[in-house]
Amino acid sequence: MTAEPSAGVPDDGTRASDASETDGASETDDGPVIVGEGVVKEYETGGETVRALRGVEFRIDPGEFVAIVGPSGSGKSTLLNVLGLLDVPTRGDVRLQGTDVSTFSDTERTRRRKEVVGFVFQSFHLVPTLTAVENVEIPRLLDRTPAATRETACDLLDRMGLADRLDHYPDELSGGQKQRVAIARSLVNDPDLLLADEPTGNLDRETGDRILAEFERITDEGVGVVTVTHDDYVAEFADRTVHLVDGDVFADPAEAR
Amino acid sequence: MSDGSDAGPGSDPDGGGDPTPPPNADALPAAGSGERGVHDRLPPALRAVVPSPGRGFPAVRLAVRNLSRQRLRAALAAVGIVIGVFAVVSLGMLGTALQVAATDELGGIGNQVVVSPNAEAGVESLNDRDLSAIRRAASGRGEVIPLKATGTTASNGDRRTVAQVYGTTDPRALFGESAGAAPAYLRGGAVVGADVAEALDLSVGGTVTVESNDYHVVAILPEATAISPVQADSAVVISPGEFATTGYSQVVVRADSAADASAVADGVRERLNAREVRVSVFSLSSLLDRITEFFALLNGFLIAVAAVSLVVAGVSIFNVMLMTVSERRGEIGVLRAVGIHRTEVLRTLLVEATLLGVAGGAVGATLGLVGVLAVALSTELPVTAVFVPTNALVFAGAFGFGALVALVGGLYPAYRAATDPPVEALRG
Repeated sequence: MTAEPSAGVPDDGTRASDASETDGASETDDGPVIVGEGVVKEYETGGETVRALRGVEFRIDPGEFVAIVGPSGSGKSTLLNVLGLLDVPTRGDVRLQGTDVSTFSDTERTRRRKEVVGFVFQSFHLVPTLTAVENVEIPRLLDRTPAATRETACDLLDRMGLADRLDHYPDELSGGQKQRVAIARSLVNDPDLLLADEPTGNLDRETGDRILAEFERITDEGVGVVTVTHDDYVAEFADRTVHLVDGDVFADPAEAR
Repeated sequence: MSDGSDAGPGSDPDGGGDPTPPPNADALPAAGSGERGVHDRLPPALRAVVPSPGRGFPAVRLAVRNLSRQRLRAALAAVGIVIGVFAVVSLGMLGTALQVAATDELGGIGNQVVVSPNAEAGVESLNDRDLSAIRRAASGRGEVIPLKATGTTASNGDRRTVAQVYGTTDPRALFGESAGAAPAYLRGGAVVGADVAEALDLSVGGTVTVESNDYHVVAILPEATAISPVQADSAVVISPGEFATTGYSQVVVRADSAADASAVADGVRERLNAREVRVSVFSLSSLLDRITEFFALLNGFLIAVAAVSLVVAGVSIFNVMLMTVSERRGEIGVLRAVGIHRTEVLRTLLVEATLLGVAGGAVGATLGLVGVLAVALSTELPVTAVFVPTNALVFAGAFGFGALVALVGGLYPAYRAATDPPVEALRG
């Protein structure tokens, strides 16, 4: 129970600091992309209840770049899954663009994931049998607008500097290229929230910089970007860093101790 | 300023009209929305409705693509369906063809009812009252042919043979078209069966002597092929007026159908055998029913055996789909995570499984048809007996069952994949 107020304090602090940075964007847009209050996530594992999140508060504004850092097992992935509507919190309130996500049916959540959220998965998760452009098209795979989808996908890959790699298969691409394909895929439906799990993991510094520059461009378009990372470099780059320790969030790592 | 010029080309067309100076945060969301396609500008509700009619098509395309990833495995799974459908089609069609051929062979006997006097009850012949009762029972259901018959000796000069002498006004009804028109023999003519003609060395225009009366031969019957209540081969058919007796020794009813025949048989029994058993009624329809029943049973058994092989094929599709789904678990998790609906995943996988059945079924059914035709062409089985409506049903049914078996085989794997939480699937 003590976790909630302690988590609340830093959240208020970050909210104040964000407001100054993203004021312009949040005024034109209608408030935060996603807000969570007292979010608890528990798992049942072998008869034991594991609390992955212990009442965390979060708020992601449009155009904001947030880095979530923390040791493994601290609940980073769980938090990212909750943000991406892949997981439902056990308790607590999560509002996506003002709507309580607990009111969504599974179908509705899937639709919101498609329309609002873009995912960049850890280790890319490209489909090996599809070409780069087809991988980008995946979220719209079953839509009836193949021509428009192809155009969007080509544009995005062009923007990622992969215009000459459209028909290459993932095993013909370098790690950085794969990651950029994955980012293009996450953008194909014009998301309002981009979630990236270790986007620069296993990439050299130069490629990592390119990815980060891309993220900056995305945030400039008003997309909220949340990334889970081990990389301090990424954390420095972010507008705001959230430390997750044992399921609690802290704005300042010193507080965690 | 450098940031602003970066975004400039994108934002100009849309944001140009905006009177406010373009600081980053303000102008760039507009640039983002400017890049959206027409489809994305549709309201979400409309977007959900518009693509739905044609969604089956990308699902098929995707399914074909997924199947071609593991060609050998897909082909082997389809081979199971090929074998199963082939077995059902070939055995089913062959069975039907045999049944049709056999029914043709037995001819119209199933439609005949033979009414004869019951000698045990002291009835020696059927009188006119009996005949009219039979006519009433058969009215609207078929043709009534009263028959006088006696066994006697026929001769032609020195040659003699035992013959069955029939007296009827219309020999064609019982002995076929080759018996010729009635008037000819009603004026002292006779129609002679094949055996009698051979034994007495008779030909048309010759003379046959029956009980010291001479009759000129107007027609010779061909050798009988179909089963009949009259002994056509040893028959001498003459006018009933030539008989000394007034009663009839037999009344044959040629009903319009087997069902009519049994109705007539029942009617005759009801009318004539109510108080005492005056007549014995013999209907071949019950015999034919048995034969048909036997063939149906045999056919059903063969198809059931073949269907078992189809079920086995379904299990192999089940297995293949289960393997596919577990191999593609992460990939399906990605699909689900990026907004492909559960039902869409389910549908794509079901289309995949069903395609195996459709392809296998088409090949199997075609092979089965070719096989049956080959059998028909190389044996005495008439090809016309293969092309009957029942066989079209067998063909379509086997094909449909093959596809259905594949669909059912894919149900559980597809369901499992579609309901797998994406978080779990992505974790590995």
